[in-house]
Parts: sequence; structure tokens; C-alpha cells
Amino acid sequence: MRRVALVALLLLAAAAPAHAVAGVAVTNDRTEITTKIGRHVIFHSRIANRGNAPVSGLVAHLNVVDLTGRTYVDPEDWSSHRTRYLAPIPAGGSVSLAWPMNAVNAGTIGLYVAVLPRTGPPVRPATSPTVRLRVLDRKTLNSGGILPLALGIPAALGLLTLGVRRSRQGG
Amino acid sequence: MTAAVEARGVERRYGSLVALADLTFEAEAGEILGVLGPNGAGKTSAIRVLTTILAPTQGTFAVGGVPHTRPAEIRRRIGVLPESAGYPERQTGEEFLRYHARLYGRGRAEAAAVAVSLLDEVGLAERGRSLVSTYSRGMRQRLGIARALVNEPQVVFLDEPTLGLDPAGQRQILRTVRRIAEERGATILLSTHLLAEVEETCSRVLILNRGRVAAHGTVAEVAAKAAAPRTGRLAVPPGQADAALRALAAVAVVEASADGRPGLIAVRLTSGDSMNDAVRAVLDAGVTLLSSELEGARLSDAFLAMTEAA
Amino acid sequence: MLVVLGQELRDLWLGGRGLVLTFAFSLLLSVIAYLVATNHALNFLEHRETVNLLLQVAIAVGSLLALLTAADTVSGERERGTLESLLLTPVSRLALAAGKLLGSLSLWAVALVVTVPYLWFLGRGVGLVGDALVTGVVVGTLLAVFLASLGFLISVFARSNRVSLSLSLLLLLTLFVPTQLPSAAQQGWAGDLLLRLNPITAGEHYVGKVVTSAHPWSEDLSWLVSPFVCAGVFAALALLAGARFVRLGGGAAA
Repeated sequence: MRRVALVALLLLAAAAPAHAVAGVAVTNDRTEITTKIGRHVIFHSRIANRGNAPVSGLVAHLNVVDLTGRTYVDPEDWSSHRTRYLAPIPAGGSVSLAWPMNAVNAGTIGLYVAVLPRTGPPVRPATSPTVRLRVLDRKTLNSGGILPLALGIPAALGLLTLGVRRSRQGG
Repeated sequence: MTAAVEARGVERRYGSLVALADLTFEAEAGEILGVLGPNGAGKTSAIRVLTTILAPTQGTFAVGGVPHTRPAEIRRRIGVLPESAGYPERQTGEEFLRYHARLYGRGRAEAAAVAVSLLDEVGLAERGRSLVSTYSRGMRQRLGIARALVNEPQVVFLDEPTLGLDPAGQRQILRTVRRIAEERGATILLSTHLLAEVEETCSRVLILNRGRVAAHGTVAEVAAKAAAPRTGRLAVPPGQADAALRALAAVAVVEASADGRPGLIAVRLTSGDSMNDAVRAVLDAGVTLLSSELEGARLSDAFLAMTEAA
Repeated sequence: MLVVLGQELRDLWLGGRGLVLTFAFSLLLSVIAYLVATNHALNFLEHRETVNLLLQVAIAVGSLLALLTAADTVSGERERGTLESLLLTPVSRLALAAGKLLGSLSLWAVALVVTVPYLWFLGRGVGLVGDALVTGVVVGTLLAVFLASLGFLISVFARSNRVSLSLSLLLLLTLFVPTQLPSAAQQGWAGDLLLRLNPITAGEHYVGKVVTSAHPWSEDLSWLVSPFVCAGVFAALALLAGARFVRLGGGAAA
């Protein structure tokens, strides 16, 4: 019985993916950000190598997720630099990454960073805690104010054109 | 004294087409030289070469003493009214002249003064502030002449200045041309096909035909050179016209025909003294001679003779 | 040259054609701005994209106006019979060419000024006014110089004004075609090269990255190489052609 359990454990260990980014921890400098639509925000992640050997070939990716189920999210709109290819991290060392974001839509957005190796067998990525990004709505466009502009400029130019033509012809 | 315009063997080709060949002539300072020729004779090509718009293929010329190798300097000394001159429709006459005066290096104030003065000189003072688009053909030609004078040129080239004008307009232009020559002392090269006006206005004439000089000299010299037959007219009582014609038919040196008007007979004389022979023949036939007229050799006769024969 | 430039500006703006074109341009911008501003469902990025759209339209139409004006300079004067009078003056051909070329660029300058209030209105809500203006000035001016020089070159050699205007428009449309290629065709080294070499697409790409994607100015500077080189080269060619080849007759020889 004990032999069967041991074989089963060994088989399970072989089947479950090994944590190839073992020793890699991802943390963020913030857990919550509140901003208004149209603003830029930045948060920072630190990828630390807590293992005994240097680790290389890692790629960090920022994920953007709508937490409300009501906000349309195209990650490319929120950040156009979501994938970073990391230089080797020595044992005990770390690298800091800055993630500039555009607050594109109002709502609550979840942000997290996943770090995974570029090569090797499939492994579970190391992920950061989620950063909650609350984007408050604000009116970015005053539609009422457009009419004077849309009418006024052509009207002014039209009057100027007519005036110049009249004065030339009358001369 | 250096001639105002001198050309020696000037040639202009367009590929294989020879527009001008061996153009050689001189125009003296202060004279009005008429440049005549049928369509395609090379008048405009000649003017364009002499005014540096086109480069000669061969030959040399000088305008105002400046050789053709210094075209910018020539342009400073000449004024030109091109044959097919256009005018900017949306400028006034005054603006147009002011602009060209400034292109010749005059300052703003001076250019404005020159423009006003020239408009007055060509009779456009009251229309100077009107758009060129409102000008008649004659007014545009006068504006063009004014533009040609904006730099007080030594030599003025006028290419068909009376083209498209009615007789009154033509006369006005030619009066202006004479006044320019007299008052400014400029040499004028006047290209035209109006032979009568050339006879009236020009001191000398240059006839071109198929790109070559057919004749060059005073009007009388050119007319005589063609040895054109002279013409005359005899007036007799209408009832005696037939008798007169019969009498003239016997005179070898005379060709007579009815003029179309009753009693008038046109005679074409083949020698200098044959008018006497014609008169004697009519009188001997018992016809009453009311009058006789002898016309001098016309430039038009010479022109036609030279340009048709070639 | 200043005398020629002064008269070109007077002819364009007091003569009326420039004002009419600018009026039509302002109508176009007004329609775009109104449609955008009254769209209440506009999200932030679409807002940036509309600012980008307005700017791209302003650059495209402004430089088109400069192109068409330049394409009329020599061939138009030739057809109207006014070129000969200019050639008879002692002004150098180079000064004539430079004055006319700069005059045609005034269409772009005025178009830019007219665009400013629209950009301000649309861009202030998303903090884009400064970026949009500077990008518009730089890219638009480079493209306007390139296109005006191209139009002038064509005008010098065209046998008629109609040929000059038609050929200029045709070349402009050809340059705009790659902007309509599907994004798949724009990928890969060939697509990238095509977009970068074409000053129109390169300029459009740069403006889009700065205005819509909020890239810093320095990030995509390599996309400005083609507009910069084309502006410089074609301006030099236009002035050279103006100095040596402006003749009474169009085509290869007078």
C-alpha cells in the first residue's frame, strides 16, 4: 500500500507542472488607484529573484480586466506597452518595471502582472496581487459649446471673403 | 555711335524648324523700326530672342550696348509688350504696374508714383483702381505699353500692339507709340502687319519672310527696292469711259480697267513715264480728261511683292 | 523674392481664391467637430481618436491646398499669358520660384491657424491640445513643403495647367493609397518599409502614435525621417527646376 502511494505521488509530481519561476515573486507598489477618465496613471511592479541561482529568459505581461462586467476593455487602449522582456536577474536581485496606463473608460479595472519563462516546459506564471483601478467618469467634451465654434468660424470666414470680394470689385 | 539694337547672323531653331535665319540688322537710337512679315515670318521669334526670352541658336546681338551674354542686364534696359500678353484679372491696373515697378527694383513709394504717372500717360488714370478683368482690349494694350515703360527703357519692343483693336483703338495706340519715341527718346521696334500705320509711324522698316530678312531700310528704300509697278487713276465723263479704255488698250506700258465707279479708270503703269503715254492716248482719242492721279510706290506693294515671291 | 512673395500673397488672399478655399476648409472641420462633439457615447480613446482624425484631416486638406496652388503657379501663369511679363523682368528665376513656392505654402499656414480653435475645443478635455498642435505643426509643415514642392515641379514641366493639376492630384492619391491597406498588409518588413518610405503614411503614423496612443515624441521619431527627407529633397529640386527650367513653353523645350 505504501509502495502504491509512493508511486502515485511520484506520478502526480511528474504530471503537475513544476514551478519553473520558483523563487520569483512579483509585487506592486499599490493595491488601489483612483483616477478620472482621460488621466494617465503609473504603477510599479518589482520582480524579485528569491532563489539561489540567477534566472533569465523571463517575460512580464500586464493584464487588464474589467471587474464590473459592464465596461468594455481593449487592453491595447489602456496600455500599449504591456509585454516586457526582462534581463537576467541575479540571485537575490530584483528588477522594477513601470506600467503607464491611460484611463480610457469609467469603471473598475483589475490590473495584474504575470511573469513567465520564454522557453522550457509549460509552467504556472508568477503573478502579482491585483491592483484595483477605479476610473471615475467626467465629461471630457462639452457638446453644447461646439455650435458657436462650428458656425462662428465659417461664418466669419464667409463674411471676410464676401467683404474682400466686394471691396475689390468696387475699386 | 553704338546702335540701340544690333543683330548679327542671329538664328533660332526649334529642332529641325528654323524660325530665324541670319537675322542681321541695326536699329538706331531714337528711331521707330517697323518689323513686318506675314504670319510665321519669325517676327515674334525675333522679338523673343532679342528680349532674351529665347536664346539664339547662333549669332550675336546687343541691345542698348549690352551683349546677349548678359541677359539680365539687357532686361533692365528694355521694355516689352509681348504679342500674347495676358494680364492678372484680379489685380487693378495700378497694382499691376506697381508690382512690375518693384520687380525692377523700385521702392514702394517710387513704384506707386511711377504707376500713377504711367496710367496717366496712357490714358488710364481714371481706371487705375479698377480690376483688369473690367478692362477692354484697347485698355489692356495700353496697360501693357505702360508696363513696358515702367523701367524707363532705352529700347521698347512692341509685338502687335494694335492686334484686335478697332481703327480708333489702333490710331490711339500708334499715337502713344509716337509720343513715347518723341518724349522719351526711346528706340522702338514695332512689330505689326498694319502697313499703312508703319508707313505713317516708322522711320525704317525691316521685312521678315520665312525667318529671313527680305528687306531693311527706309520705307521709300524698301518700296523702291521691290520695283513695284505704280498705279494711278484717270477720271473721264461716264459716257466716254469705253472710248478711253479702247484708247488705253493700245498703250503698251499701261494696263487699264474700269474702277467700278462711273467714269473712273484705274491704270497700272509698267514704267516710270507711262502715265504721260496714258494721258496722251486718252486725249488723242477725243476723250475729255477730267483728272489724273498717280500713286507712289506703296509699302504694301513692296511687302506683297517680297513675301509672295519668296 | 520678397516682392514676388508679397504679390503672390495678395493675389491669393485679396484676389479671393485663398479665402474661398479656407472657408470651405472651415466648413469641413466644423462638420467633423460638431458630429464628434455631439456624440455622447464617446469614450476616452475614441475622443483621442477624433482629435487625431481632425488633425489628420487638417494636415491632409491643408497640404492638398498647398499642392494644388503650387501646381498652378508656373503652368497657370503660362496659360494666362502672364508668365512672359515676369520672365522679362531682371528678377532671377530662383527668386521667382522661391516667392511662388512660399506663397503656395501660405494655404497650409492659414489652414493650420483655422484648425487651432477646433483642436483646442476637442483636445482640452483629454489634455491633448499641446501635443496635437506641436505634432500638427511639425508633420503638417513637412508634408506641405513636400507636396507644394512636388506640385511646383510638375507645374514647371507640364505642357498645360490641366495636366499639371491632374498629375498632382493623381500623385497625391497614389501616396494616400497605402493608408487604406488592410492592417495585415501593413505588417511585416515590406509593409513597414512601404509605410515608412511614404512620407504621407509615415507622417500619419507618427501623428497617430503621439495623439491616440499617447507615445512620447521621441519614441517614434524614426517615422519622421521620410517626411523630413522628402521635404528637403523636393524643395531643393523645385528651386533648382525653377531656376533653370522655367520657360515660356511647357514641356521639355520652349
